[in-house]
Amino acid sequence: MKYYILNLGCQMNQADSERIQSVLETMGLQKTDDEAQASVLGLVACSVRQKAIDRVHTKIHEWNERKAQENVVTFLSGCVLPADEDAFLKKFDLMFSIADLGKLPELLRGHGIVTPLSQTLPAGNGLDHFWNVVPQYSSTFEAYVPIQNGCDKFCTFCAVPYTRGREVSRPSAAILQEVRDLVDKGFKSITLLGQNVNSYGLDKPGEELSFVNLLTQIGEYGRSTGREFWVYFTSPHPRDMGTDILEAIRDFPVLAKHIHLPLQSGDDKVLIRMNRNHSMDRYRSLVGTLRELLPEATLVTDIIVGFTGESVEQFENTRLAMREFGYQMAFVAAYSPRPGAASARWNDDVPLGEKKRRLQVLTEELHLSSLEFNRKLLGRNLRVLVERQDKKAGYLAARTEGKIPIRFASSDLSLIGSFVSVVVESVVPLSIEGRLV
Amino acid sequence: MTVSQATNRVLGVERLAPGIFVLRFERKGLKFETGQYLSLGLPGLRKEREYSIYSGEADPELSVLVKEVPSGEISPQLAKLKPGDALNVSGPFGYFLLRPTIGPGYPLLWIATGTGISPFRSFARSLPETDYVLLHGTRSLEETVLSSGFARSQTVSCVSGSPGGTYHGRVTGYLSTMELSPLTRVFLCGNCDMIYDAFDLLQAKGIPAGQIFTEVYY
Repeated sequence: MKYYILNLGCQMNQADSERIQSVLETMGLQKTDDEAQASVLGLVACSVRQKAIDRVHTKIHEWNERKAQENVVTFLSGCVLPADEDAFLKKFDLMFSIADLGKLPELLRGHGIVTPLSQTLPAGNGLDHFWNVVPQYSSTFEAYVPIQNGCDKFCTFCAVPYTRGREVSRPSAAILQEVRDLVDKGFKSITLLGQNVNSYGLDKPGEELSFVNLLTQIGEYGRSTGREFWVYFTSPHPRDMGTDILEAIRDFPVLAKHIHLPLQSGDDKVLIRMNRNHSMDRYRSLVGTLRELLPEATLVTDIIVGFTGESVEQFENTRLAMREFGYQMAFVAAYSPRPGAASARWNDDVPLGEKKRRLQVLTEELHLSSLEFNRKLLGRNLRVLVERQDKKAGYLAARTEGKIPIRFASSDLSLIGSFVSVVVESVVPLSIEGRLV
Repeated sequence: MTVSQATNRVLGVERLAPGIFVLRFERKGLKFETGQYLSLGLPGLRKEREYSIYSGEADPELSVLVKEVPSGEISPQLAKLKPGDALNVSGPFGYFLLRPTIGPGYPLLWIATGTGISPFRSFARSLPETDYVLLHGTRSLEETVLSSGFARSQTVSCVSGSPGGTYHGRVTGYLSTMELSPLTRVFLCGNCDMIYDAFDLLQAKGIPAGQIFTEVYY
């Protein structure tokens, strides 16, 4: 019997999917990428935008038409707003939060999906059970490790506190074990995941490691093995980003010199309306410390343009901030109200055309700052992680420690998943090209 | 502070002004720092809303100040609660914290509109020795009852919609007349328009953004 999972969300949802796959395969089901072959059809949903929710409705409508012809079971998990649950329950056979993953075999049994293995699976429940499921990693060299679930920040543009609930830190012993196992299996890139990774442990004061201590232990393990790998984390909140975290990244080579620091807006008043709880002065001071401690680190950000009420002048402050901080990558999104988020109750009053213009302006700024950074890499010999064949025939695609895409001439597919050294020979905004040495 | 999630029993609903009430409920050992908020929901109702804590840190029970929005999904339900009813409470959350800003030579200015006075009431109950000036803006004279528990000498009641109060006009109108020490720590709580206007005035008066703390109500 085969299953198919459609993942509509972010890296957190990908990590969820990998654990759902693991439970299904423990039951004896086999994965297929062709949904027409599958008897169990799963969807890991995202509630970030209405568009993502619309896709859930479209897909389940399609699946239910098929259901009229043949016997298939459908399920829904991931980020689902409580207000949407009733509507989805009527359309899907099963719906479960990720904390209830342990109940999946039992839920499927209730719909006639019984395998010899599923009858003997121990029942489990709760986030601890979810975290302890060994995932079916979708790569052999790159893995995502969830370290917390939920969010307590209540940014007004985001619905995560309502879809995933309160911030809960995964036990550090389990995180460290998963990281050690991945390193021992030869994984080269490990990303610690959470909605606010750097508030890790704050929900269990005195009982759990702080985020910097978690990083330090990973760094020390990396040093003790002598293996080459890079550890990333995403996404942090500027409010909880301390100098100690940057110092740990400086001190341990396995902690990648790549900092994701969401700005969202470069205007103090928009930050207030977003309930970000930090000022531009605070952000500026953090970037200053970062440049001092980690001068070669890449800096990456998230920005929303056209947030409710954002004036031309306020947007201009964001453009100036982009120029000031000189990002190497920025994930810029035109604001759209997230159903369930607080800002959905305010007027979405910046016209779409103006949002697109602002997005274009920031994209141009990003190209300028990226090109300036990349030019400084010309002639440098860089360690890169080979990821796949490049679109250009005869080339492999890789990325630097700072996650700058790089390609180089080689047809040796055995290099995929390993580190190689490349001399940078040409650069453009957002990517570089080099020669394998 | 550790975030807790529990079902607490309602102790009472007290009407303070038309459409405004205090909801009192069990504390169940929940610890918070004055200025933080809670997320409240009702069993069976899959929606939550955040409310600043109105009670003091040492009070035996918790309370929040609620403005009833007739078309709202939560507040009309909260208004109907009776003693003994169940209430889903999670928290505390937030960074609108007074304690880290208190220091010799740092004057405190608190500015609120409507039910935005809630965290300031918690400030005053939790740290009664604090020296502050409170500007409270309301549309009607009836709502000035919300500031009745504050020291009169430290409170400026700004009524915009009718005569009365200490000052006839908006809080920002009064603020524009004030002379402020550049060391003043300012707390703003209420609707976003007021916060934006006050923020601009404060910046023009030389108060850096890092000394302005905000809690937007929506």
